[in-house]
Amino acid sequence: MSHSEQDRLIQMINQIALNNISAGDESAVAEVVAGHVKKFWSRRMKSQLFDYLGQGGEELHPAARLAGERLQGDAR
Amino acid sequence: MLQHFDPNKDYGTPASLSENLVTLEIDGVEISVPEGTSVMRAAALADINIPKLCASDNLDAFGSCRLCAVQIEGRRGLPASCTTPAEQGMKVWTQNDKLAKLRRNIMELYISDHPLDCLTCPANGNCELQDMAGSVGLREVRYGFDGENHLDAPKDTSNPYFTFDASKCIVCSRCVRACSEVQGTFALTIDGRGFDSKVAAGQDEGFLDSECVSCGACVQACPTATLTENSVIEMGQPEHSVVTTCAYCGVGCSFKAEMKGDKLVRMVPYKGGDANHGHSCVKGRFAFGYATHKDRIRAPMIRDSIDQPWKEVSWEEAIGFAAKRLKAIQAEHGRESIGGITSSRCTNEETYLVQKLIRAAFGNNNTDTCARVCHSPTGYGLKQTLGESAGTQTFDSVMKADCVLVIGANPTDAHPVFGSLLRRRLREGASLIVADPRHIDLLDTPHLGDATHLPLRPGSNVAMVNALAHVIVTEGLEDTGFIAKRCEDDAYAKWRAFIQDPRHAPEAVEEVTGVAADKVREAARTYAKAPNAAIYYGLGVTEHSQGSTTVMGIANLALATGNIGRDGVGVNPLRGQNNVQGSCDMGSFPHELPGYQHVADPVARGRFEAAWGVEIDHEPGLRIPNMFDAAIAGHFRALYVQGEDIAQSDPNTQHVEQALRSLDCLIVQDIFLNETAKFAHVLLPGSTFLEKNGTFTNAERRINRVRKVMPPIAGKEDWEVTVALANALDYPMNYAHPSEIMDEIAQLTPSFAGVSYDKLEQQGSLQWPCNDEHPVGSPIMHVESFPIGKAHFAITEFVPTTERANRRFPLLLTTGRILSQYNVGAQTRRTDNQVWHDEDVLEIHPHDAEERGINDNDWLGISSRAGHTVLRARISERMQPGVVYTTFHHPHSGANVITTDNSDWATNCPEYKVTAVQVEKVSQPSDWQKNFHDNHQRQHKFLHEAKPAAE
Ligand code: SF4
Ligand code: SF4
Ligand code: SF4
Ligand code: FES
Repeated sequence: MSHSEQDRLIQMINQIALNNISAGDESAVAEVVAGHVKKFWSRRMKSQLFDYLGQGGEELHPAARLAGERLQGDAR
Repeated sequence: MLQHFDPNKDYGTPASLSENLVTLEIDGVEISVPEGTSVMRAAALADINIPKLCASDNLDAFGSCRLCAVQIEGRRGLPASCTTPAEQGMKVWTQNDKLAKLRRNIMELYISDHPLDCLTCPANGNCELQDMAGSVGLREVRYGFDGENHLDAPKDTSNPYFTFDASKCIVCSRCVRACSEVQGTFALTIDGRGFDSKVAAGQDEGFLDSECVSCGACVQACPTATLTENSVIEMGQPEHSVVTTCAYCGVGCSFKAEMKGDKLVRMVPYKGGDANHGHSCVKGRFAFGYATHKDRIRAPMIRDSIDQPWKEVSWEEAIGFAAKRLKAIQAEHGRESIGGITSSRCTNEETYLVQKLIRAAFGNNNTDTCARVCHSPTGYGLKQTLGESAGTQTFDSVMKADCVLVIGANPTDAHPVFGSLLRRRLREGASLIVADPRHIDLLDTPHLGDATHLPLRPGSNVAMVNALAHVIVTEGLEDTGFIAKRCEDDAYAKWRAFIQDPRHAPEAVEEVTGVAADKVREAARTYAKAPNAAIYYGLGVTEHSQGSTTVMGIANLALATGNIGRDGVGVNPLRGQNNVQGSCDMGSFPHELPGYQHVADPVARGRFEAAWGVEIDHEPGLRIPNMFDAAIAGHFRALYVQGEDIAQSDPNTQHVEQALRSLDCLIVQDIFLNETAKFAHVLLPGSTFLEKNGTFTNAERRINRVRKVMPPIAGKEDWEVTVALANALDYPMNYAHPSEIMDEIAQLTPSFAGVSYDKLEQQGSLQWPCNDEHPVGSPIMHVESFPIGKAHFAITEFVPTTERANRRFPLLLTTGRILSQYNVGAQTRRTDNQVWHDEDVLEIHPHDAEERGINDNDWLGISSRAGHTVLRARISERMQPGVVYTTFHHPHSGANVITTDNSDWATNCPEYKVTAVQVEKVSQPSDWQKNFHDNHQRQHKFLHEAKPAAE
């Protein structure tokens, strides 16, 4: 995955988290983020997100990271 | 007697909407008409045609020519039938000796001051003066022609599309009334009195330099040859006509294409069209010359690399070449390595086929559409809140609105015919609130009610919409009955707790929006207290990093005040291109099948799989920006683009160009060598709306027929090309006519279940949902319930964009459109509309200009973190200090070189409306512009080399 592609995905998912920050606690926000990603992201984008989580996922917003982990759990 | 409304007939005066009927007798025929109907109209409805000159049924009666005099039992004199209302028991005679003599005298006076060059006059055969002379039996002109007259009055040929020949004017003032009543521009007046009176444009400065916006309403209203289309002067009167739909903006005006053989003489807005009722703007009426422009691509072309000249080939060879490449790429790089982009300019049937091609023949969901870059947040936001991705009203609904809130839209320029209707309503007294960084023309339109401008800073829409909602909730202005009955309790309680928070108060966000709190409070009260309040919004709402949030905030406002589900209210997205609504409806998005059915929904997907005989991927595909990223990364290698110019219309041009250059195979289907085609390997000639059959769906969900009036220039309608490509990819498609494609759509899409070409033929148009429940469509949505049962208030957190003015880029650039040009301008730039706008300029406030020593017309370098371009300066007070503005109708302007790839959080709709920039005086074009120029020359050379014989 190219650098810019990864940057874009991080930016996208963090933006989703921030814009839904009032959905409730971190878990509730993660729920919304996960729902959004599941519904709108392509297979490859999702797996790129999982790859990034595998690398530590440092730049992810906490709710975005939680969402990613939950999606990854479901996918297994 | 049976009254059949014929949209091709002029009934003399407008219809009355009264429900009370009165019965009268005209020439012995009894007829019942709504109270308030004129005697003239009543007669016309009974097929008794009273002579007339100054009356027309789209204008209020004026009573100046007196030709329409009638005799009424018990009344003295001979009253004008156009200004006399029909009354119960009235007895009217339209013909007798006295009337005949009067009419002949009147005609004699007119004719004595009229050049009698009928045989060489462009209106010959279509002149009401001639008709009336015939109908009254004029046989002699006793006054002679040598008295004082106007026969030498000069012609005004300043407008490129029509000529004003004052010598033929009978001063009936139909043009003046059309300009004020129908168009709402007030460009024309009658100057002087009596014999000296004459029609003047502006301060008698000629049409082009006046306020005239060239809508053509006056030309259509003129009963003589005084105002005549230049095309009619050149080609003569048309001999047949076909009703079709404008292919420019989302108003979707109906037109009669008036033809001579297969040559288009003129476009006349069709009175039977429910979107426009016989009105139009300069684009639809006049700017059709591009269809026969010499730049049209007339044959398919291929090349191995974009550094090579094009090679003209047969359709078979081009399609075969494309299919072979697509197959090879998929074999090497996988099923998901290719995709396509559908067009908001093509028909529903064509868009449907492209996404079908992608899902069924490509075997993936990598389909997207240019709605991504304009109204994708509308689809998302309205679906989340109201349950359906579409506006809730008809255009006509605005005539019942008491308060109109316009957010981020400029209807008089971008949706002119709706703009005219809205102006009419404002003249009747509706109040207007405009939330827009720019002072738009609507604010200056003559109106009876209040007009408030909330000049908010670019990027603060959500803060503004939240502040309005905060006032409504905290000041007890909610419609609690509506909320209790129609909205989901839980979501409402959460939203209410959220929006009440003082951080949303107008006072708290004053810093962010830049608008005084009391003004915002006042606006919220006006909106909430109006019996009927309607919201209209445009790209100024959607094209932001928070576009979807604003759309949801707008829906919240309408829900909180109960402004949903009847005439005069609602949430109305003003769509940019003609078929944006349709392209979204037809399943262009990577996650949705036609009718907004998610690809992961097994039931919906199962229906499509059964009908199409393939398995459909249950995971969404790539959106346009993700396609670009993936192309640069190397795992997305081929793209089929139908009728879109992503290289010009998408943000961050240099990034887009890099992506397009990375593709192994780019297939572009278009009517011109557009910017995207310069990066293509296969160029397939597109067909214009005049060359094909199909349907468009306008911003009010109205499905209108597009009818072929001339053969496609390269032999194929666009849908036929997609069919050929599918077949070459071994996925059989077989349709004899677009109506068969619509039948398939109806079969698979619940909201279109009742749509067919036969029904469109009967009804004229249909607004979806159209199904068993709504057999003739649904003008107003959500009347009883929402598709999701109860409406859903959405939490709308304000997250400021990361694009902020700073020391390096201290100004905010926002972009927009103007009336005469359309979108990327590929069509309008190839017409005489160029006289109004031949370059994009940068509007800058005098204060910012002075600080930088900038004068009008200086060359300005504009830089953002994405790029640099050069435009000419126009000093203007329409913007606030700190904000600059431009349009993007001309490719060499490179407006999108500067826009960034910031985008809406939910849909990735680009943030065109906010870019931090710096501006300075420069002396030469930018590097990008120089490269653009070189590449432009080179690619055109490649094109010419393809057909040396043709030039
Ligand atoms: S073209 Fe339209 S705007 Fe211009 S004068 Fe005629 S009616 Fe008015
Ligand atoms: S220009 Fe035509 S419409 Fe206008 S006053 Fe003269 S004749 Fe009537
Ligand atoms: S551009 Fe829009 S308003 Fe103008 S004629 Fe066409 S559809 Fe109507
Ligand atoms: S048509 Fe009635 S007065 Fe002219």
